[in-house]
Amino acid sequence: MIGFCGRLVAQDKLVTGKVTDSKDGSGLPGVNVSVKGTSKGTTTDATGAYKLNAPATGTLVFSSVGFSSKNVAIGNKSEISLALDEDVSNLEEVVVTGLASSIKRSNNGNAVGRLDAKDLMGTTSPQTLDGAMSGKLAGANIRQNSGAPGGGISIQLRGPSSILGSSEPLYVIDGVIMNNSQFNTGAGTASFNGAVSNANTGSQDQGANRISDLNPNDIESMDILKGPSAAAVYGTRANAGVIVITTKRGKAGRTSIRLSQDIGQSSAINLLPSSNWDEAKIKLYGGYYGVDEKTALETFRAANGKTVDYDKEVFGNIGAVSNTNLTITGGNDKTRFFVSGGINSETGIVKNTGFGRRTIRANVDQKISKNVDFSVSTSYINSNSSRSFLGNDNNGVSLGYSIAYLPNFLDLRKRADGTYPESPGTGQNPFEVIDRMENKDEVNRFLASSNWNFLLMNNESSSLRLTARGGLDYLLQEPRVYAPEDVQYQALRALPGSSRYAYNKAFNTYLQSALTYTWKIGSVDLATQAVYQQDNTLRAESWIQGDGLLPGQRNPSTAAKVLTFSENKPEAVKAYDFNQEFNWGDKIIARIGVRNDRTTLVGDVSKWFTYPRANAAINLHKFDFFKSEAISQLKVRAAFGQTGGYPSFGDIYSLLVGVNYGGKLGSVSPTSVGNPGITPERAQELEYGVDLGLFKNKITLEATYYDKTLKDFLYPFPLSNSTGATQINVYPAGDMSNKGLEIGLNIQAVKNSKITWSTGLQYWYNRSNVDRLAVAPSFVASSGFGNFGRSRIQQGYSPTLLWGRDATGKSPLPIKEGQPDFQLSWKNNVTFGNFDFSMLLHWQQGGYNSSLNRELKDEAGTTFDWSEAATAADGSATVKGLSSRLFGNPGYATEDFLFSTTYVRLREVALNYTIPKASLTKIFGDAVQGVRIGVSGQNLVNVSDYFKYNYDPEASNFGNRPIGGNIDLTPFPSSKKVFFKVVLDF
Amino acid sequence: MKLNIKTLLLGATLLSSATSCSLLEVDALKEPNNPTLESVLKDATRTQISQLGNGMMLVMRTGYADMASISGSVGREIVIFAKTDNRYYTELQGLTAIDAGGIMLPWYNSYNQTRRRAELVARSAANTGALSAEEKAAVKGAARTVQAYVMLNCLNMSGETGIRTTFSDLQSPGDLLKPGKFVSYAEGLAYIKQLIDEGDAELSKAGSAAFPFPMASGWAGFNTPANMKKVNRAIAARVAMYQKDWAGMNTALAASFLDLKGGLATGPMFNYSTTAGDAVNPFFKPKDESNTPWAAQKDLVKDAEAGDTRIFGASRSEGGVAKIRKRAASVTLGGFPVSDFESQIAGTNVSPMSIIRNEELILMKAEADIQTGKLADAEAELDIIRTANGLAKIATAKPKVSGDKDALITELLNQRRYSLFMEGHRWFDMRRYNLLSKLPLDLPAHKIWDKFPKQQNEIDWDSNNPL
Repeated sequence: MIGFCGRLVAQDKLVTGKVTDSKDGSGLPGVNVSVKGTSKGTTTDATGAYKLNAPATGTLVFSSVGFSSKNVAIGNKSEISLALDEDVSNLEEVVVTGLASSIKRSNNGNAVGRLDAKDLMGTTSPQTLDGAMSGKLAGANIRQNSGAPGGGISIQLRGPSSILGSSEPLYVIDGVIMNNSQFNTGAGTASFNGAVSNANTGSQDQGANRISDLNPNDIESMDILKGPSAAAVYGTRANAGVIVITTKRGKAGRTSIRLSQDIGQSSAINLLPSSNWDEAKIKLYGGYYGVDEKTALETFRAANGKTVDYDKEVFGNIGAVSNTNLTITGGNDKTRFFVSGGINSETGIVKNTGFGRRTIRANVDQKISKNVDFSVSTSYINSNSSRSFLGNDNNGVSLGYSIAYLPNFLDLRKRADGTYPESPGTGQNPFEVIDRMENKDEVNRFLASSNWNFLLMNNESSSLRLTARGGLDYLLQEPRVYAPEDVQYQALRALPGSSRYAYNKAFNTYLQSALTYTWKIGSVDLATQAVYQQDNTLRAESWIQGDGLLPGQRNPSTAAKVLTFSENKPEAVKAYDFNQEFNWGDKIIARIGVRNDRTTLVGDVSKWFTYPRANAAINLHKFDFFKSEAISQLKVRAAFGQTGGYPSFGDIYSLLVGVNYGGKLGSVSPTSVGNPGITPERAQELEYGVDLGLFKNKITLEATYYDKTLKDFLYPFPLSNSTGATQINVYPAGDMSNKGLEIGLNIQAVKNSKITWSTGLQYWYNRSNVDRLAVAPSFVASSGFGNFGRSRIQQGYSPTLLWGRDATGKSPLPIKEGQPDFQLSWKNNVTFGNFDFSMLLHWQQGGYNSSLNRELKDEAGTTFDWSEAATAADGSATVKGLSSRLFGNPGYATEDFLFSTTYVRLREVALNYTIPKASLTKIFGDAVQGVRIGVSGQNLVNVSDYFKYNYDPEASNFGNRPIGGNIDLTPFPSSKKVFFKVVLDF
Repeated sequence: MKLNIKTLLLGATLLSSATSCSLLEVDALKEPNNPTLESVLKDATRTQISQLGNGMMLVMRTGYADMASISGSVGREIVIFAKTDNRYYTELQGLTAIDAGGIMLPWYNSYNQTRRRAELVARSAANTGALSAEEKAAVKGAARTVQAYVMLNCLNMSGETGIRTTFSDLQSPGDLLKPGKFVSYAEGLAYIKQLIDEGDAELSKAGSAAFPFPMASGWAGFNTPANMKKVNRAIAARVAMYQKDWAGMNTALAASFLDLKGGLATGPMFNYSTTAGDAVNPFFKPKDESNTPWAAQKDLVKDAEAGDTRIFGASRSEGGVAKIRKRAASVTLGGFPVSDFESQIAGTNVSPMSIIRNEELILMKAEADIQTGKLADAEAELDIIRTANGLAKIATAKPKVSGDKDALITELLNQRRYSLFMEGHRWFDMRRYNLLSKLPLDLPAHKIWDKFPKQQNEIDWDSNNPL
């Protein structure tokens, strides 16, 4: 029917062959075989064989992820078989660069970070993505908000990229924006641990952010667009960088089934010792915390020398971890599928805590005709967690906070009759919290996306392609927080017993279409692209809380006092984007583009915000004048780009606050004033780099320097409190810069038939500075606890500095920098025979946390070294036993509460054994294709001075925030894990 | 160039069915969760004014518990043994400097915010045709009375640090950025006198009109402009007392609800409830509270006269009248002397709290009489307080005090200490009579503050916006 295609077909001839792995000669399935310069192509089947009609004048390109590609001219050959070498340099891999474009890494003008399945999950078996990424990505500062099972992480790419807004990268999965909200659960509100004094805000709830819903096992690759120069295509949402996740897809060929099972256990990395007591110490202290001397002595004598190790009792549980993953993939030249199911479960180092996740994924690719194909990716996730109560506290509930105050001669363990002794000092028995209080949530989530390709026109020198993509992400999180009416602290309240049901909903929809025209001028390949995109986001949070419960009752709606809350936050963005790419024979590659955005988050919805970008790469080694045996690649590159950061929802409004007085409705004016004229903050980045490959890319070096400036960053305009308004919600308050260096060195050190050893180093640092400030300098809200150290925005200073007072009381002074001086990670992979050993060592140098852990114990006299003589911050020696380090002592200084977060950590180590094929065939025949077994560990070795008084240098009391993450206050202690793994391929 | 027509049609159909009709338009969102301030500043409806007025009467109480407990700590009425934050007893008891950017100044924001909120209510009332001229005056009069009440508390806390007396509104753009300079304590009092007198004049203009907003039950007897004038004058008497304007104090008291024969508890009160949007009484502390007990300073009971029903006997939470209660277990922290008693100033979590009451008015009358030489009248007035609280008359209990001005002042301050316990007076009383050095210290390293520091926020503002 469509006759014009016939002319090309007539000239083609059939070419067949087999592609093998140069390492062991086995057939390579899934290799792309295409005719250079055309869209003709196929993939190899399960045995590595292929068939293709191609013109004799053409050149076949064989490419596959993880292998160096090869080009072979067809000529008169009818069979072309060859072996591909493993690509150690990753130069061949295709990285995502735009909404509908990608580029070969060797041609990219940006430094795009790439983590593939092997990087993420190849060594050990992290439950959530945070564990999978830590230490593996140059330029990223990854921090754990809580060691509770199920994660809760903050990722900062190239330093803080906002002060107010989110500094978390935008997550895009299979082309669709994925929600990574950290919803409030209520665990940190007044009726529970009381970290905040009202029922409304949840900044200290320490919930997980929702990227933890993703099963890391389903991920094929992650492309990390770290700064604006790479992320500019995502416009207003991309200030903090973009993480583009591609899930695994089916491969044509034999249907293969893989079943993997991990069984492991987790235990606390570090527990804090507690001081021993004698009568003299009790007299010196004047009792113990909250209890007078007489009672304390009675308790001490009654204990008769018996002690309780509270850290061990509370955090000493051995958690059980299990990951089960089943994947089935296969297909033919028209249809390919990938189906996976995963069950993860983990119990924590605190009894009754845990995380569970069940995921199902089905990814299908279908070729409808020669010119039309589409793919569908769907995933359903059910996850649940139980996290107990940790972190900041004002009710005696949070476990770490509470046990810091307990002397070891006081026994609060559950009695034989099932009751719990009252804690006279702290007001709440911690074991009662563990056993009887609840902080749980369940998430149900559905992710779906579809991608359509229409080849509208295709000839020798040009093609026109239409791609359309749509998707959605729906999630409902249901936290349940419960404190029975008869637990110690509740029994005393006017309305004992609290129960909170929350419903947090997020619904994202995404739609994009792109027209791409490829053409040629002489020897320059050009690609011109226009993209239209729209996305809508709705975040809806609601909760109902009941205070004053009938015995055993949980339903908040029948409580004595019922509190409710409901809030909807809709957002919409529409955008179009133009992109032009030039490629002169892979020698010089340049791209320019511009994106225009409109959004509901600014006062003027008709205003377009424009984000330009440009980058260029020069492959010097491709030029004729460049002749070097040793240097296999030398690329210099430069990139520029701008991105935006939104004001938060609601920042443009001055809202009346509803109240009730005398049983009647009332309203009061806000203390925070809206700014309807606000525009997005804008980040601009210049990035320079050089990529060097030596000795056939056996040694590769990638070095990137960036200079990222955040212009007109959004910050509250702090008003004089005397005006009765504390701030204008947002204001273009100043400029902030992040400068840094990222170096990656990869060496294929040994490669022979017996042994291969590859090693890689990554080094990075970031320096931040507030270059301009148009408002009064001020402390960043909720960035710390007063003079224990907190962040302050002041011109000429780093925004992540911790400020406080010196020993003379002078304040505010900059004391220590929160960000590390540098980070260095070292990975090794050794294969010998059928054994495979890998490890990842991570070193963070410098950086400080404001930590209150020691202060709490000093206050209670439970610090292990409390009785040793100490010197006060002002230099005066103090009496033995009366800790001089106490906040508020004469001459105390903020520096006393800042601890260096320098650490060296063995993030991952693993030894795997692949059972030889011959042995398998002997036992199972052809039924089993492969068996791999292994042992691995996470965080097995941890070295840091920080551990002396604190649980872990990676801690953040206030959750995900760009500034103010460096606060450590009795978090859920982090754990180390050991796994045993079996992988079966059928 | 040849196009694959079928493919094009298929692609176009799919796209057009999925894309919304306006490709590039973004619809402005109406804020879906709350009404905006702008909606009431002009042409507010009667309903809106009613709600704003009710909100103003609510925020009049905001900051009171902070002010009473924090000044009560500095004035050695109680010690806040906050188990989870030692700043409450290290800073307030003078072991270490009060952190200007810390947590001891919540009352400062609360009171300034109430001032602005009341101002916006008055402006909304002025800018609408929905109210009569009398009603507008009633709203303004109530607003000025509320403002004077909260700013007097604020000024007393700040002491010589002072307050800012000009503040802004949203009417003139940029005005929020010009808060004016800090004024001294004396200038602050003059400013508050002007506010309270303006409130009085406006309430007079309201005539017999009713307030165009509901008055909660705590205002029973004072819920019309005419009756609120009596409360206004009671507050004016307080202002005069701090100004040592004894004649002005007498004049104001005469126009207030002072009643030497009346019940001591008579007066307007703040209401609390468990209703959502309202708050429970923050003065309420459960018996034997272990987390943040308000322990009575150890001398409070020691110094009390035997039989004083304000101190001895069943406490308010136990159905009695005593303001403190003996704990089942004593409390102490950080080397403080053991404290056996705790504040029980509120009987339940919804008990109303007095704003100003007849007992204080009688004590003010006694003070004015002492200072103007009417010692016999003063003694009679103090005896009203003593006998109502279970004590014998001065002539019987302390005959030497009769007719001795200095001794009567001591007796007055003593009665104020127990009658107005935890109502935010003790520290200021001792300060205005230069007696701060007589307040007891729990530990030798402690000291008594005479004022709160300027908030770090205000220091930052001034350093960045020099006048």
